[in-house]
Amino acid sequence: MRARLVTMMVVVFLVSALVTNCAPTPTQAPPTEVVKPTETPKATEAAKPTETPKPTEVSLPPAPEFIEVGASIPLTGKFGSLGTQVKPGYVFAVQDINAAGGVYVKEYGKKIPIRLTIYDDESDPTKAVSKLETLYAEQNVVAYLGGAGSDMHAATAAIAEKNKVPYLGIAFALYSIHQQGYKYLFSPFPKSPAQARDVFEILNAEIPEGERPTKIAIFQEKTDWGKELCGLWKENAPKYGYEVVVYEQYAPKTEDFSDMILKAKAAGAEALFGMPTQPDGVAMFKQMAELGWTPKFSLIIRAPENVTWGETLGTVGEYVTIFPGWHHGEKFPGVEELNAKYQAEFGRPADLLTGPAYACVQILANAIERAGTLDRDAIRDAIAATDMMTVVGPVTFNADGTGNVLNPLIQWQNGKLELVWPKDQATADFFYPAPPFDQR
Amino acid sequence: MGRKQVIFIALLIAILVLLPVVVKKDNIINLALLVLLYICLASSWNILGGYTGQTNLGHAAFFGLGALSTRFLWMSGWSLLPSVLAGGLLAVAFALLIGIPAFRLRGVYFAIGTLALAQILYITVGNVFSDISSLRPQDLATYQLVPRYYFFLVLALLITGTTYLLVNSKLGLGMMAVREEEEAAESLGVSALKHKLLALSISAFFAGLSGGAFAYYHVGYYPRFPFSPEWTFDSMMMVYIGGAGTIIGPIIGALFFVVVRELLALKLVELHLIVFGILFILVVLFLPGGFVEAWKKMQAAFARRSKERGVKVSFQTTDD
Repeated sequence: MRARLVTMMVVVFLVSALVTNCAPTPTQAPPTEVVKPTETPKATEAAKPTETPKPTEVSLPPAPEFIEVGASIPLTGKFGSLGTQVKPGYVFAVQDINAAGGVYVKEYGKKIPIRLTIYDDESDPTKAVSKLETLYAEQNVVAYLGGAGSDMHAATAAIAEKNKVPYLGIAFALYSIHQQGYKYLFSPFPKSPAQARDVFEILNAEIPEGERPTKIAIFQEKTDWGKELCGLWKENAPKYGYEVVVYEQYAPKTEDFSDMILKAKAAGAEALFGMPTQPDGVAMFKQMAELGWTPKFSLIIRAPENVTWGETLGTVGEYVTIFPGWHHGEKFPGVEELNAKYQAEFGRPADLLTGPAYACVQILANAIERAGTLDRDAIRDAIAATDMMTVVGPVTFNADGTGNVLNPLIQWQNGKLELVWPKDQATADFFYPAPPFDQR
Repeated sequence: MGRKQVIFIALLIAILVLLPVVVKKDNIINLALLVLLYICLASSWNILGGYTGQTNLGHAAFFGLGALSTRFLWMSGWSLLPSVLAGGLLAVAFALLIGIPAFRLRGVYFAIGTLALAQILYITVGNVFSDISSLRPQDLATYQLVPRYYFFLVLALLITGTTYLLVNSKLGLGMMAVREEEEAAESLGVSALKHKLLALSISAFFAGLSGGAFAYYHVGYYPRFPFSPEWTFDSMMMVYIGGAGTIIGPIIGALFFVVVRELLALKLVELHLIVFGILFILVVLFLPGGFVEAWKKMQAAFARRSKERGVKVSFQTTDD
């Protein structure tokens, strides 16, 4: 019996080797069949019409009924809270564009509405891959819109590259994804190098020399983004006149930060930089208050972005600053209308990720119009050449697909997230130094 | 195995082999590949959980170790098969390392022990290997789903075939004896520890190979991802939906779990998890032994009814 078992395993393994090496090459012809999407956005009145150029007399090919665009978003699972901010941005933008008749495509001499198909990938990269393959094969999409979180973008951007479909994604600051040589990935969202540079430029611009928090403590999360961003902060600090006095690492879901906090306190650190998740950030600040160490300035990306930060921490969570990528107080064209729509549907101004998501669709529509065709490579090239105004401000792209976009700084003040930098966009003044926890 | 069954299996294999030749859409091939992946994983869990009666809640650790080592070796320039094989062997080494102390625990303590070990590995791998593992653009330019599909198909056949031979062997009977009553098996000279360790090693080896195949398939993920507990719980659910301790159970379970959930996800978007959850509860409530037991019960009821009818007919004939 044992001999039969071993023989069978060996035989099957050899067959496996043979099959794997001799497997036929599949053809990847785009399917002609277009499946009905699960969600067809309705047109609304809020759109800004653009003038349709007069059709030429040359006979044009029959236009497709829709421009198919697909998105795989984590609406449930661990990135669900991010995905639910992203989705309305995409939906509202498509509604606004379709209300104006759609996107003018020169090849067909007419405006064509966008049909956006959205799937929930449950925050699972394998399911996200599956959804993108479906969007490509069944909907024949001309472009992908990304979800949220670097876990998801790592998988989906690679599929976009494989299928040669332009991909616009936000809600990730990880720069290294862009350093792999992907051609179809574009992200109009601030990345680590901007976050690592801007904080020092803002501090030097806002605070007179002598009052600046020159001694910095960095609490680095043991993740790739943590390593990347904290490494850049550490590298940049001396160039701007700052000194990193404490550099500590911790694993995600750490509950005890006391050792790191006591080291920062003992070293006389005046500023804290970090990017904890919500539970880690809450634990960190509670323990800082208990141990009596108040940094004069805190840049904490991620954890304080959620409204529950203020509710959970009260005054302890005040004066913390964040680089969120966007804020509803920005004064760019279209922001007011977006806030009004969001307010009508959700009872609050647009969330932090909604603006950048909206901008993705604006960029795509603009690129299709400039490309004048629905050819994916032409659209990709047009996105790369983007130079336009959006709800997140002016956008251009670098060769690696990173966007040159505004990187606003926001701050918790009186239980609200206020935009404090740049000054011409600010909704409140930058507050510095933060008073000690026990005097608030 | 009867002649009809052999013909049915041969036909099924032929259909699976021809699928990529007939269907050219990547999404369908990808879905079929995922079904095969879960058949591999669920069948490997079934060897220890279904046939030996040891509830392993740390199966993802073996899958993850296979994926981790394969990805590392393969991306470093090793050829695929040695990389995958190394993944399987690493999983076995880890299984043996934890097996001896873990099998001192029984029942729920064994389950909790394996879950704890898998979680430790999940967190450690996340901390140590924090960078994304993505295929390079030059790899993506030549990436094809079809060879990956065939790789999973062969692996699924290997695991299913081995399980069949195993359960019909003396070793398999020993494993099932341990499952039914460990003390009684020991009293008959069946070493429970030996059988449990062998079952764990075979189960881990196949989970490791499945992890290796996953590393070959996936375009970009964090190394901790294959260690996440979902891989264990999904496999377990598939085995119980299909029928634990049967060959066909994990296959039916994987097919139901992957295809139904994907269809619901595509059609219902935000509601699909609720609907799938209700469906799962209904299956557990009304088909406690899974689809296989339900089928057997249906067959038995049908046979009983046919027999009764036959008796009735013969009575009527006698009366006439």
